[in-house]
Amino acid sequence: MGWKEAAEPVLTRMPAVRRPEGHVPFKRKLMWTAGILVLYFFLTNIALLGLQGGEATDLFGEFRSVLAGEMGSLMQVGIGPIVTASIVLQLLGGANLLGLDTDDPRDQVLYQGLQKLLVIVMTALTALPMVFAGGFLPAQQSLTLGGLEFGQTQIEMLLFLQIFIGGILILYMDEVVSKWGIGSGIGLFIIASVSQRLVSGFVSPTSEAFFYSWYEIITGQTGVSVASLDGLTYMLSDGGGQLIALVTTILIFAIVVYAESVRVEIPLSHARVKGARGRFPVKLIYASVLPMILVRALQANIQFMGQILNRTWGGMPTWLGDYSAGEPTGGFFYYLNPIYSPQDWMWWTADVGQEAWQVLIRISIDLSFMVVGGAIFAIFWVETTNMGPEATARQIQNSGMQIPGFRQNVGVVEKVMERYIPQVTVIGGALVGLLAVWANMLGTIGGVTGTGLLLAVSITYKLYEEIAEEQMMEMHPMMRQMFGRE
Amino acid sequence: MRMDRGQNTGGLMSSAGLVRYFDAEDSNAIQIDPKTVIATGVMIGILVQLLTFAA
Repeated sequence: MGWKEAAEPVLTRMPAVRRPEGHVPFKRKLMWTAGILVLYFFLTNIALLGLQGGEATDLFGEFRSVLAGEMGSLMQVGIGPIVTASIVLQLLGGANLLGLDTDDPRDQVLYQGLQKLLVIVMTALTALPMVFAGGFLPAQQSLTLGGLEFGQTQIEMLLFLQIFIGGILILYMDEVVSKWGIGSGIGLFIIASVSQRLVSGFVSPTSEAFFYSWYEIITGQTGVSVASLDGLTYMLSDGGGQLIALVTTILIFAIVVYAESVRVEIPLSHARVKGARGRFPVKLIYASVLPMILVRALQANIQFMGQILNRTWGGMPTWLGDYSAGEPTGGFFYYLNPIYSPQDWMWWTADVGQEAWQVLIRISIDLSFMVVGGAIFAIFWVETTNMGPEATARQIQNSGMQIPGFRQNVGVVEKVMERYIPQVTVIGGALVGLLAVWANMLGTIGGVTGTGLLLAVSITYKLYEEIAEEQMMEMHPMMRQMFGRE
Repeated sequence: MRMDRGQNTGGLMSSAGLVRYFDAEDSNAIQIDPKTVIATGVMIGILVQLLTFAA
């Protein structure tokens, strides 16, 4: 008896959101999506009960913009557990250790159940250290609720419970959007989190924001002469006029939108209907930017481990991690910490306390992590989401199309696909990794990070495509059959 | 048995989320209405906020 039979009773009984019967009109889909978005923003504003105000530190740190959610709120864990569970599944599925055939309905049910169970376990595993180890979310000394007196341990339990429930809510909110709305809930939450940061990075009335700092420069409140070399450096720099960050942000937008349209098109013709032609696009960013979030989350999880060790293990050797003010400044965890901003690597400025060679090691580790990791996860992603040569060949065959000049045979189509898909996937994944590191090194407006920006732009683009497809289906009900959704 | 392969792939996997949902469903599974999810979320939010005021 394999693990499938043993786990079946549990996995098949995981509660799931009901599927809509028949077609959901576009307006209704929009309403579900907007409803979940409003609920998400509402919940990010509900502070955790029993939290000692002002003393909490974010375990997610700089990864917050990618992992969404809000520190100290019911949405504390964000999409962190979902991403971590997804990494586990991608690795297991990509290495074919699960033995699940995602074309078999029985295995599909098991896969969905396993996925949900993993997210629930990861939510608990993320919430536990946040509350109980290292005081990232310090509990109040005492709390009185309607005559009931709670001690500190009980308050900690209460905090854990709230964070855990919040995490489960995120899971089901994602499911509602996936089944009843447009796109996915995770995509929605990432866009929400990144755009919120981007907008406040532009307009919030502090000197960190773009417009306000320029107001200060123009009215001469900064004390730096605009016409001097210092003034020029100030206008370009991250702490001043942020011109470099602005250019990087705009460039990333442009590059992603352009790269979305770079593709190899494989011509197709219909086997029976003469003159019916089509093209199968193999996009440069074939696997989309989503695998990148998995690489970042892997780095994030390593850093969480470092943070937790630092808080709980007093005698941590310095080769493992040397921390000052909650940031790694030396040792293993320093070198594995990705570059977030120009202040992290410009070793000739006063901001960086490390030697140039240390910074260079950190940059090269970050770069190879992102480029190699990006490529590897892109390959796994293509395999597990049925975008690989074999699966696409089957899809093309099933739709009655063939590649002109080749025999109409799944194996032949697969051979042709094998010439393009793996290469394009690897190049695309590595390119996206490179872009993310480059954007972080130059800085972005609002500190959204390169990965956050890449994700937000690419998800928005996908959303746009999906809306266009939806509207086409609304106009021509026949299209629904063509897209295989009746 | 191989005949029905490739029918249940859930259409185009264009906007793949990190969590994948298939068409296949088990009759044993508890089915939740999407309205229940939203209502639960709103209620939990309000409850925590009210308790915070009360504390």
